[in-house]
Amino acid sequence: MDSLIAANISQRPLRTAISIIGVALGVILVTLFAGLARGMMRDAARRQSSVDAEVRFLPGGNVSLAGNPLMLREQYADAILHGVQPTAEDPDIEPKPPIPGVATTSAVGEYVQGSVAGIGFEMVDGLDYASFINTTHLSLVQGRGLGDGRSPDTAYEAIVDRYYAKSGKDLEGNPIRIGSKVTVLGHEFTVAGIYEPSVLARVKIPLYTMQQLLGGAENCTFVMVKCETPELADQVIEDLRRYYPGNHVIATSEIPALYSQGLAPVEIFLNVVIGLGLIISVLVILLAMYTTIIERTREIGILKSLGASKRFIVMTIEKEAALISGMGVALGFLIAILGKLWLEANTRLIIVLEPKWLVFAALIGVLGGIIGAVYPALRAANLDPVEAISYD
Amino acid sequence: MNPVLETIDLKMVYHIGRVDVAALRGATLQVQSGEYVAIMGPSGCGKSTFLHIVGGMLKPTSGSVIIEGEDLTAMTDPQRTDLRRRKIGFVFQRFNLFPTLTAEGNLKLAERIYSGKSNQDGARRHGVLKLLGLEDKMHHKPLELSGGEQQRVAIARAVINRPAIILADEPTGNLDTENSDIVLNMMRQLNKEFGQTIIMITHNSEAAARADRVIEMRDGHVVRSTAPAEAFGGRP
Repeated sequence: MDSLIAANISQRPLRTAISIIGVALGVILVTLFAGLARGMMRDAARRQSSVDAEVRFLPGGNVSLAGNPLMLREQYADAILHGVQPTAEDPDIEPKPPIPGVATTSAVGEYVQGSVAGIGFEMVDGLDYASFINTTHLSLVQGRGLGDGRSPDTAYEAIVDRYYAKSGKDLEGNPIRIGSKVTVLGHEFTVAGIYEPSVLARVKIPLYTMQQLLGGAENCTFVMVKCETPELADQVIEDLRRYYPGNHVIATSEIPALYSQGLAPVEIFLNVVIGLGLIISVLVILLAMYTTIIERTREIGILKSLGASKRFIVMTIEKEAALISGMGVALGFLIAILGKLWLEANTRLIIVLEPKWLVFAALIGVLGGIIGAVYPALRAANLDPVEAISYD
Repeated sequence: MNPVLETIDLKMVYHIGRVDVAALRGATLQVQSGEYVAIMGPSGCGKSTFLHIVGGMLKPTSGSVIIEGEDLTAMTDPQRTDLRRRKIGFVFQRFNLFPTLTAEGNLKLAERIYSGKSNQDGARRHGVLKLLGLEDKMHHKPLELSGGEQQRVAIARAVINRPAIILADEPTGNLDTENSDIVLNMMRQLNKEFGQTIIMITHNSEAAARADRVIEMRDGHVVRSTAPAEAFGGRP
């Protein structure tokens, strides 16, 4: 072997392997966490925004898609569509007209539960099925729709989307089909139908059942508002804000942007992961190269006796570190890709390996290695040549 | 004729704790181009310190070292390293080859340090290895070679970049008589055929007897410079 760097790397295969794995670990951390955060958020945003209803009416306060799920009175759905008039029971209520341009409304409950697969989380919708299918297109590919949940035979029924049926398992570990038992909100539900396309949550149960289970009687999470024509959406939003101040009204098309804003805390988490990845790479290479330098003190003395400059010695060590880091990055990518495939096949997690984050992870691995090798390299370059060549 | 090496009143004091130890106390010497000089003397007389200073690995406390007109003692550390790269070839008692590289790899590394380029004159490299009887050992690693072969590779590495001076520190110290003889013959051959200047430290009077001149050091001084015949009274 004629290359000093390649020879040094192959001389200590175990240490080289450990160093490569250490760097790979940082790369895997960054790649998978970033991919998971992006993948899940993007998928959720896509499903949330792909409903036909152009407007979403939410309770006031901070808009949080993962907050207390049932905070909005369900009657808003009726009020928006038909208006509000004082009644004998409630003579003081302020009358409001029907909102012009609204075709139909539907109250939806939405709850985030731990994934049944054990990794991650998943959302569950509570629907008034009859009004829901008027606000967005939903085709049943198998079975039937949901009942109102008020009778015992419809209370614990669920419908799931095709992806959920294809990727999930029922309580007995069998593929999900009509009649399968699945766990929703800690209770056993029977799959009554399989639908497409994927809109909102992948699992849907009657809103009434969700209210009973979560203790939010006659409440929902939001109201979907379908306009007579899409062009009327802006006017409907304006009217809703005027007649129902204190609540949030957003266009469905704004939801992806809202999810992006919701990524801010995730970005902080990802930055922490990136920092961890960098620290792991730096420490692994620092320790590996420092040990190498101690072991090779005599060889560094030989290099100096041959007239190798400090720059030559530093570059030799840095190139070695960069090569180890590069192999670590490659191994990290390989494991991350295999991990993505395994997770997506065995869970409902979605991982998106964006080129930007792959580049980021590669830079972290290689830069971490180069930074980690700086101290050992400088130490080697500054060794006294006579002492180094006499080192045993 | 200008000497290839001139040392003038070379002094070196080591500070060991609170004690100052004088290794060289004013060593003055001239070596002409193409000379083969042996330096002898008892242990602790300053031979190795002298060699390390002449090779630019140590900076003397005072005095001058001039190699082909360049004053080594006036140079910074990087300048001394550069001069060592350009003009000095070392041969050590312990061979000091890179154990992970083949014989050819060791030579290529020396070439790369010298020129900064990866691909060098393969013909020259093969020529040197052939001269030293190593043409069939090019792809062997040091541990696959005998001590004599390793030292020949070390000599090949020292001469590969045509240095002005070869500094050899006890080159036969780790070899048996047969291999010592081979190595000494090859050094003599390099000196005779290519005019290679060689300064060799040795305790072995038989090795010194192959040189043109024998320098004797004692207590940090050069005390005698004679022809081998005179130094050993005709019997090494």
